[in-house]
Amino acid sequence: MQAFDVLVIGGGASGLRAAIAVKGAGASVALITKVHPLRTNSGLAQGGLNAPLGKDDSAEKFAEDTLAAGDDLCERDIVRAFAQEASRDVIWLEHVGVPFNRSAEGRIDLRQFGSNSRSRTCYTDDRTGHIVLQVLHEQFERLQIPSFEEWFVTSLAVDGSACVGAVALGLRSGKLEPFTARAVILATGGFSRMYLPSTVSLGTTGDGQNLAFTAGARLMDMEMIQFHPTVFPKGQGLLISEATLREGAEIINEKGEPVLESKALTREKICLAMRQATQNGSGALSLDLRRIGKEKLASRFPQTLELAKTVAGIDVTKEPIPIRPVAHRPMGGIETDADGATSVPGMFAVGECACSGLNGAGRLAGNTLTEALVFGRKVGETATRHAKGAPVKGFPGSKLSDEEKRLAALTSGNFSGDSAGKIHSELGQLMNDKVGLVRDGAGLREALERIQSLKERHRKIKLSNSSRIYNYALTSALELGSMLNLAEAVALAAQARSESRGAHRRADFPERDDQNWRCHTVVSLAQGSPQVEKKPVAGGA
Amino acid sequence: MQITFKVYRKDPEKDGKPGRSNYSVELDEEATVLDGLLKIRDEMDDTLAFRASCARGYCGECTMRVNYKACFACTAKVSAFTKKSPEILLDPLRNIPVIKDLVFDWDAFMWNKITAVKPWLEPDESSTNGENLLPDSTMADLRKVMSCYYCGLCDEGCTVLPVDFDFLGPAALTKAYRFVFDPRDKAGRERLKIAEKPKGIWDCVHCFEASEHCPRGIAPTERIISIRDKAFKVGITNEKVARHHTSFAASVKESGWLDEGRLALESEGLTNIKGLMKLLPTAARAMARGKAPIPYLHPKRPGAEQIKKIFEKGEREKK
Repeated sequence: MQAFDVLVIGGGASGLRAAIAVKGAGASVALITKVHPLRTNSGLAQGGLNAPLGKDDSAEKFAEDTLAAGDDLCERDIVRAFAQEASRDVIWLEHVGVPFNRSAEGRIDLRQFGSNSRSRTCYTDDRTGHIVLQVLHEQFERLQIPSFEEWFVTSLAVDGSACVGAVALGLRSGKLEPFTARAVILATGGFSRMYLPSTVSLGTTGDGQNLAFTAGARLMDMEMIQFHPTVFPKGQGLLISEATLREGAEIINEKGEPVLESKALTREKICLAMRQATQNGSGALSLDLRRIGKEKLASRFPQTLELAKTVAGIDVTKEPIPIRPVAHRPMGGIETDADGATSVPGMFAVGECACSGLNGAGRLAGNTLTEALVFGRKVGETATRHAKGAPVKGFPGSKLSDEEKRLAALTSGNFSGDSAGKIHSELGQLMNDKVGLVRDGAGLREALERIQSLKERHRKIKLSNSSRIYNYALTSALELGSMLNLAEAVALAAQARSESRGAHRRADFPERDDQNWRCHTVVSLAQGSPQVEKKPVAGGA
Repeated sequence: MQITFKVYRKDPEKDGKPGRSNYSVELDEEATVLDGLLKIRDEMDDTLAFRASCARGYCGECTMRVNYKACFACTAKVSAFTKKSPEILLDPLRNIPVIKDLVFDWDAFMWNKITAVKPWLEPDESSTNGENLLPDSTMADLRKVMSCYYCGLCDEGCTVLPVDFDFLGPAALTKAYRFVFDPRDKAGRERLKIAEKPKGIWDCVHCFEASEHCPRGIAPTERIISIRDKAFKVGITNEKVARHHTSFAASVKESGWLDEGRLALESEGLTNIKGLMKLLPTAARAMARGKAPIPYLHPKRPGAEQIKKIFEKGEREKK
């Protein structure tokens, strides 16, 4: 059995940063990740990461912008602390090797991004995630932290009330093994793959949220799904950085007329303006990047040029690229406090899988990677403190054999005829149609009914592949199980919130209702069924 | 359109012998090879193993050979490969241990080799508030190198790896470049020593295949040459191939042409008795055929003075 003080699940930016912090704080730590860290969804981030480094900027202004994007649903104290600490963490990243774009004076150059009121987004061309991820992985390797790559966590171990480890399947060995730990940090990323198309990698399936949820943790603000405005919607969906807008690109209608009155808007406002324009009969929308100019496009957006050509088959220096809003990132996730602790002792969560209330009802463009850094460091330190004080607990005796049985039932070899892929396609379509950018009560009711029947079909899945080695049909079935549980939580929370706020738009409740709904939604399991409650927005005025 | 995928298969739990499975799949015109594979796994054969992650050209995880051409399944449009025939052959990359079907051993092929160059920056712990002030031109060069998506196509194209799998390969050496040329790294000399060990920079035969294969235009071969130049500049020139280069240049500079005897001796090292002894049989055979070049007693070519001037001009310019 593998035993560590702290186990980090998830190899993206948050997980790597957390593992580095744990090691730095003097505890033993290991990372488990289902894909190699450099293949995680963090690598898809483009535009940059925020830090109030500009002469005209301050932590207060940064906090104000973050709060405004959150549409009055943020935890203010958490936002203020985050805004205070952001610069320090981004500077650390520079010291350990990120080759940020520089100003003429050699300082980190800052770009205007999304609804930030100041130039405060640090960037490396349009590959910020890809390069930040590499640098975090470099420092992770420098500390020689054990890394279990291509290991798929199937379940968390809870003894009494505390989280004491996890069971994971080695994709290469085909073996199911227990990992004990005094603290477990979930850093598994988002769940936007429940929407098709979406902007995320194939593995962004909410594994960690579901692991936590089924182990007794609570999910917060699940109805808040950010749609990204500038996405080429064919195939898997190709995101074109929103940073292009502030650099001169325009969203245009079929006549070539600009659609937006201002570009300093939050993502949901741009998405809604686009929806409005389409409904008003301006036809399909496109993003015109030619207005940026060839030279600047090549120097600042090299990846965009490359991928538009290889994925969409469009030379964006010559013609506009069709776009529409596509599901991007959830604001909601595993409920945590300011330091990443969940309601289950020994269980922590960070990054996109977590929900501390930092992002409220809408995330400010450029905050995702900064959140991974700031909260990754904090959660690593907090989990280490917890681990040092926690007693060594035994791994629950039947845990491993229970998981063996569960997987054996799936891989018994009696092919059921139905497949994870088919169910996933239906779920993806359903979520877009009924739990998309704009929802209503009737649609949400229908969605919940259909999710139930999809869950029923999922329970009956049996694979013909009885191997455990690189059995991606098996991991896909497990991922689908996570997405279905979370889709239900999203739809339930969306159904409960009878108002429109931030990313949550109800056609039947178009106004914001502060009297009843300036509060979070929390979904938890009660006797095996998900229940929605309200939780007041706390901390600071 | 109806496409037949002929896919490489290997099952480590059976006899482990390679074979091929054929799948006939209906796909639309825009479909990618990855779309085809996902459809096969989902609807036809759930035992088929292949990797994929970002599914849109960011990450390099689904690298494979499509009709023998190494590329990414997620950006390879099926229509581009079926102009002549509706058949598509799918294979793992060449010269790499295969684990199962299209899943090959990334660790042995690339990740372990990258780890061997100590791929992390040793930061200056004393650096205090604020960022390092650095010119964007230096950073832009690093950004270019770090646009690498670790797809392995350079290693796949490398002509050394098929004969020596232990060669670090262009991907790992390009990773080394990223630190060797980062002014913030404090382990410069130590890292150059790693890169110049056997199986490192001097084993590259500069065939430029890596640069030809790199889909991002990072030019790995040129990066390896830059590391060699830097090793020379800081005086790390003890490796045999480095001595070979030095001797080659010195000989041509002095006499206008190559002193082969001297080259052999100096490459081995004049104090390397064991290495020099190894040369004896070759020298004896050459002598028997009247071809033994006498080291250092090497007549100058006509025009040797001109050649020397060229060298001197180059050396001045480099300073």
